[in-house]
Amino acid sequence: MAQCVQSVQEFVQDSFVPMVAVLCSEEAERVTRKNNLNFAELLRPFCRLTSEGHIRDPNNQLQVVKNLRICVNNLMTSPTTTSTSPSPAQRQLLSDVVLSCQPQESAVTNVVMAGDYELNFSVTTPWFEAYRENFLQSMPASDHEFLNHYLACLLVVSSTEAVPVEQFLKLSQEQHRIQHSGEYTNPKWFIPNTLKYYVLLHDMCEGDEQRADLVYEDMKQRYGSQGCYLLKMNSRTFSANVDEQIPDPWSQYLHKNNLHNQVNIANSSTCTGCFIYSSDEMSSSLDPLQLDSSMANLHNLSAVHADLKKGAKDSNSPACAAGSHGACLTLNDHDYIRQFIQEFTFRGLLPHIEKTIRQLNDQLVSRKGLSRSLFTATKKWFGGGKAPEKSISEPKSTFGLLYPPEAPELQIRKMADLCLLVQHYDLAYSCYHTAKKDFLSDQAMLYAAGALEMAAVSAFLQGGASRPYPAHYMDTAIQTYRDVCKNMVLAERCALLSAEILKSQGKYSDAATLLIKMTSEDSDLRSALLLEQAAHCFINMRNPMVRKFAFHMILSGHRFSKAGQRRHALRCYCQAMQVYKERGWSLAEDHINFTIGRQSFTLRQPEDAVTAFRQILINDSRQTAKQQGAFLREYLYVYKSGVLTVSLPQLPLPCIHSSATRVYFGHERRLAEGEKQAATHVSLDQEYDQDLSAMWCHLEEQLVASANGGVVPGNFQPTQCCLNSQTDNLRHPLAVVEEPIIVEVTFRNPLKVSLALSSLSLLWRFTVDGSSSSNEMTEETITNEETSAVGVGNMNKYTIQEFHLGPEETKMVIRNHIDFLLFTDQQTLDLMVRGKQDLNILGPRLNLTKEDKMSVRHGPDRRLNPIITPPMPLMEVFFLQFPTALLCGEIRKAYVEFCNVSGVALCGLRVVSTHAAFFTFGSQATTPLSPTSAENCSAYKTLATPLQRTSEATESLVSAADFRQPSGVIEIPIDGSILQPGQSTQLPLWLRGPDQEGVHEINFLFYYESAEKGLKISHRVLRHTVFICASRSLSIQASACRSSVPPHHCLDEKGSSGTLVFIDVENINTNEGGVREFHIVQVSSSSQHWRLHKYINPNKDKECKLGSRERAKLCFRAARCKPSEATSKAVKKYTFSDLSLGNEQIISSTTPCGDFFFRCLTLETQEAYGASSRISSVSRSQGSIPTENRSSDLTDIAKECSELDLNIIVIWKAYVVEDNKQLILEGQLHVALQTIGKEASSLTAKEEAQEMVLLKFKSDLPPPVILPSAEFCQLIKTNLHYPETCTHPFVQESLCLVPVTLTLSNCSLAQVDVIIDLRHKSTSPESLEVHSSFAWVGQTQYKLQLKPKEVLCLTLQACFLQAGVYNLNTPRVFAKPSEQSTMCETSQQTATPALIVISDA
Amino acid sequence: MAVCIAVIAKENYPLYIRSVPTQNELKFHYTVHTSLDVVEEKISAVGKALGDQRELYLGLLYPTEDYKVYGYVTNSKVKFVIVVDSSNTSLRDNEIRSMFRKLHNSFTDVMCNPFHNPGDTIQSKAFDGIVSGMMVQTA
Repeated sequence: MAQCVQSVQEFVQDSFVPMVAVLCSEEAERVTRKNNLNFAELLRPFCRLTSEGHIRDPNNQLQVVKNLRICVNNLMTSPTTTSTSPSPAQRQLLSDVVLSCQPQESAVTNVVMAGDYELNFSVTTPWFEAYRENFLQSMPASDHEFLNHYLACLLVVSSTEAVPVEQFLKLSQEQHRIQHSGEYTNPKWFIPNTLKYYVLLHDMCEGDEQRADLVYEDMKQRYGSQGCYLLKMNSRTFSANVDEQIPDPWSQYLHKNNLHNQVNIANSSTCTGCFIYSSDEMSSSLDPLQLDSSMANLHNLSAVHADLKKGAKDSNSPACAAGSHGACLTLNDHDYIRQFIQEFTFRGLLPHIEKTIRQLNDQLVSRKGLSRSLFTATKKWFGGGKAPEKSISEPKSTFGLLYPPEAPELQIRKMADLCLLVQHYDLAYSCYHTAKKDFLSDQAMLYAAGALEMAAVSAFLQGGASRPYPAHYMDTAIQTYRDVCKNMVLAERCALLSAEILKSQGKYSDAATLLIKMTSEDSDLRSALLLEQAAHCFINMRNPMVRKFAFHMILSGHRFSKAGQRRHALRCYCQAMQVYKERGWSLAEDHINFTIGRQSFTLRQPEDAVTAFRQILINDSRQTAKQQGAFLREYLYVYKSGVLTVSLPQLPLPCIHSSATRVYFGHERRLAEGEKQAATHVSLDQEYDQDLSAMWCHLEEQLVASANGGVVPGNFQPTQCCLNSQTDNLRHPLAVVEEPIIVEVTFRNPLKVSLALSSLSLLWRFTVDGSSSSNEMTEETITNEETSAVGVGNMNKYTIQEFHLGPEETKMVIRNHIDFLLFTDQQTLDLMVRGKQDLNILGPRLNLTKEDKMSVRHGPDRRLNPIITPPMPLMEVFFLQFPTALLCGEIRKAYVEFCNVSGVALCGLRVVSTHAAFFTFGSQATTPLSPTSAENCSAYKTLATPLQRTSEATESLVSAADFRQPSGVIEIPIDGSILQPGQSTQLPLWLRGPDQEGVHEINFLFYYESAEKGLKISHRVLRHTVFICASRSLSIQASACRSSVPPHHCLDEKGSSGTLVFIDVENINTNEGGVREFHIVQVSSSSQHWRLHKYINPNKDKECKLGSRERAKLCFRAARCKPSEATSKAVKKYTFSDLSLGNEQIISSTTPCGDFFFRCLTLETQEAYGASSRISSVSRSQGSIPTENRSSDLTDIAKECSELDLNIIVIWKAYVVEDNKQLILEGQLHVALQTIGKEASSLTAKEEAQEMVLLKFKSDLPPPVILPSAEFCQLIKTNLHYPETCTHPFVQESLCLVPVTLTLSNCSLAQVDVIIDLRHKSTSPESLEVHSSFAWVGQTQYKLQLKPKEVLCLTLQACFLQAGVYNLNTPRVFAKPSEQSTMCETSQQTATPALIVISDA
Repeated sequence: MAVCIAVIAKENYPLYIRSVPTQNELKFHYTVHTSLDVVEEKISAVGKALGDQRELYLGLLYPTEDYKVYGYVTNSKVKFVIVVDSSNTSLRDNEIRSMFRKLHNSFTDVMCNPFHNPGDTIQSKAFDGIVSGMMVQTA
């Protein structure tokens, strides 16, 4: 129960006060009317006595009467009988009182902390107190109790009357008639001879004061000085000194109690009657359409109400311009009135009561009340005549018998009531107690309940410890009233009293139970108020029961809304909401929100309604689709009704994933235009990929570096065309004027019902020069032409884009993007609301400083705040005849077109790619097209070779600088290097299929800048991504070996130059249908030191054809380049030598063959470098450094010796059948031969295996000191020269001596010590027998030193014993570089047999 | 059998609520929520008297016109509430107690699931099955 202004004692005491009636003459009425009051109202503020009175009880004990209040009412007669329920007018009045008493906005609210709940609500409930006060005052006087029966009557006559005494007489008779004629039942009188008090009213301004005094004297004589009074008032004229401020004590009594203002009641009752009707209709209606009509009703009503009020004011205004009461009364007059009341009470009323009590007491004593009750009991016990004075006419009512007014049982009750009124609670209690027993024994339940109630009240008011408060009396009384007597009014009064008393004793739980029990279906208002009080009880308990509080608040709110008290209902729901909010009780929360929304709406607080509905819609509610639909309709209806003044409301739906917003700067690109294929660039369709963007950024860095002379400027920022949540959004993005900005917004519909959106557009705002001050902030809307209704499916994410913005002015900053949404519910298409949603993007959460980590902070996100810059060039790139599939190594020619589509010239065109070897623009020096290649559609530059085929190579010398670009960045050779606006240029582009099969993603990044310098955007880039499917073509394996032909056989060359190159070509193409055959057209070599010299199998068909899975072996002789050419190392010159196998020669040193060769070369060397560094680092980590040092120069020598560094280019043609047409594809494959004896392949797939290095937990044993490595085998080349056959007559001569020449040639560039041991016997078993039959004779061991490149011949002699075939290759040659201390002897000869046939002659 | 079974987290938000007449769900939510006051009252009263030796079963929390509300609190302050139709007089205290025990066991199983995030609403089929078994079977 809420806190009250009054204390409990005060409240209970004031609930039962002596009633005094007023009967006024017309003239007196007129006098008081001057003050805009009637007489009773005039007295009301002064009805509480400030001084103490005294009364003597029947035992002649003096009893103090403190703080007594009397109640003065105009005497009104009404024929109505008492009813058990309040009349409609009363109900109306109570409803009005509650309605008018609303909590102030600024009312003090208390914060109650209960557990983890923090509740904020007002602890006082003035509406409840007002209700209670009015309820108690409007209690109809009933027969079973006398508390609100009139004790006295004031007869008021004005002194201006002609004959005042006559008037008094008339009034007195009138009173007598009312009381005793029996016509009127309603004003009930306490005792038959009511105290009449005669009051002469004298108006100081009008009448003659002396005359009044005279009349008063006369009255005194007539009625005694204690029975009359002269009241002088109206001391000041109405018009005079209006400005004087007189306190208005009436206002607080009259504004909430207009019970006696009949006109007002009539007015308001009709009006509020309608109101209730309409609001009932509203609360019951669920349909928004009905709501509409009731809204209209409400509106009309309020207008009527206002009119009525105005009318009332108008009628009142002449009487009281200031609108205040007591305008003619001075402060002295107030004192007079106070004095009058005091006089009346102490001189008239109290003595009268004292006298009455005494009389009643005497009666009771004489009747021996106590024994009488015993007597009736025994009478009843023995079945004597029951209920002596019971009225026959009275129907046998449910609540027992009724006593006639003069029944002796009632006398004791009457006395008790009187005692209670004059605060003699002790006596009152004992009387009530006695009466209770009497009534109970008579089964007069109503009377008994009344006595019980009052006994409890008087026991409570007695105070002190004399008697404990009998709470059960009250409970019994309430139960009796309610259940037996069906008198809800009395039960309610009893409950109100009891609850208040229980509350004062801290028994909140009991009070709450009591109050909740009193709720019933018959009165919503009462139920609501009592439930609310019960809720307050719960929260006031020692352990506050928050949830019970909340629940009962909701129940109360429900009843309030049923009772038409919408404002109270809303308040209750709002208070309950505090408990349910954000605690997971979503169903309840939704319900409360919904009710709040609805109530707010009907109370014309649409903003609150919107917030409440919003809550429901935003929360991922678990409601059914139907329910959600209702919520949505209701929500939209609020907007639809047009109550809201906001032109574009913020809509909660659909949810915007603001962080998923993507902003794209630039035009949407067409991907293809006829044959042309546009650069893919960036589009919104692409998903953001971290690695990919890093790759692009890296490429751009390369471009910028090359444009700025190799250095990346410090303020370099990668260009971002499409911004999303993952990109770096800290900077303001730069947008170019007249280029569109596309914003993609992601919506989500959290509801289970579908939403339809239409006419979406972006709202934006721009600021000139970006400074926030002194600029025009215009808000412009550009409606989008693509106003398509897009249905957002159930629970689906939907992306709607196409918001084009075209800023007209340079240097603008687009500030806020706001969406317009037009909302429709699909079922009811008329519910359409136009609203907006803000796009506020939070940046990523900061996590750097401690503060950032402790709290949630977000960085800025400037995705949507671009800076518009002056025009920039815009380039479009198209590709023509661009293939999608290539054979590995295939060369294809395509064209690329650059278009400047902007109004500004562009320059500095560059491109970089992830696959540098994939394409070339050709070098400018070597681009001219030869006529033959144009004929054949060949990409190569060819020369027709003369018919006589030579196996000799043609040679050309080319500097690498002609082909090589310093980095991967290629400057695009366009004419004049500037592309004027609107101009376009087409360039040829050669492509070479990647060496590895599979699908290759190849990224190009084109770079260009404005011809103007110093712009905000330094450059622009254009991306292009292609996918090339490479299929297998040929596999080429090449190996080189020294020819075993002794040097003097090849006359033109000297030393070890005789190197053979074997090339294995295999057709590994798997596409049998498509590719018919491969032709090896030409084999070229390119090297700084070596060249292919001669094609060795000239006797066969020159053209080498390879069908599917066929393999061919080609053999070439390679030779060193001429030293003069080779030695000039400062300029890296490459010797290209072409060996054409067909009938036309391709000049390999020109575009595109040379280009691709060099591109591949740079790539390979880079890779090789990487690999070697990797290996060396591995080997270094394995330790064994001392041996490494020693052997390093050794290996150098060996390496140098066997180094070859010959690059072989195999150019082929493939005959492909496609769509019944034969196509000839061309291509080239590269093989780099590094060392002699090592096989090199065009397929590099197996290299991967090297990267895996096994982890070793045990350290390896140190490798042997002497490396018998194969490298040293190549130091010395040996040749045996001997006659192949020898006929010898063994018969004549048993020994056959054959001279054998051993040629030793030093291949290395160092001095080499050589040991030749002929004595050596091979241990291999199969050679044993052979050896036994022949022996070397003469010097069998040689120790020689060979200078670099020296060739030495030794003549040996072999001795044969018999005929046969012998292997002469038994000499063992050991060599070591001469500086080397240790002899690392290695057999220098591979064990190829050198056979000699010895035949017997 | 029960008409509504609810599991409430320590922080008094619902982990699981299931009721049989689904159209009256809101009412049961309110009832269960309101019962938490009584549960708290009982816990605080018992806590003082017995200390750690606390009986988990709280007994009848309060009767309403139509229902009886029973409560049970685990040691981790997770509350189980079972609402039973008042007209159902066949249910004895012991049966309610065993229902709670069953519920508690099943709840423990849910909590033991390594994939269950404590504090999340319960979405276990096994738990659902146990609860369904205890509910009034509507034909």
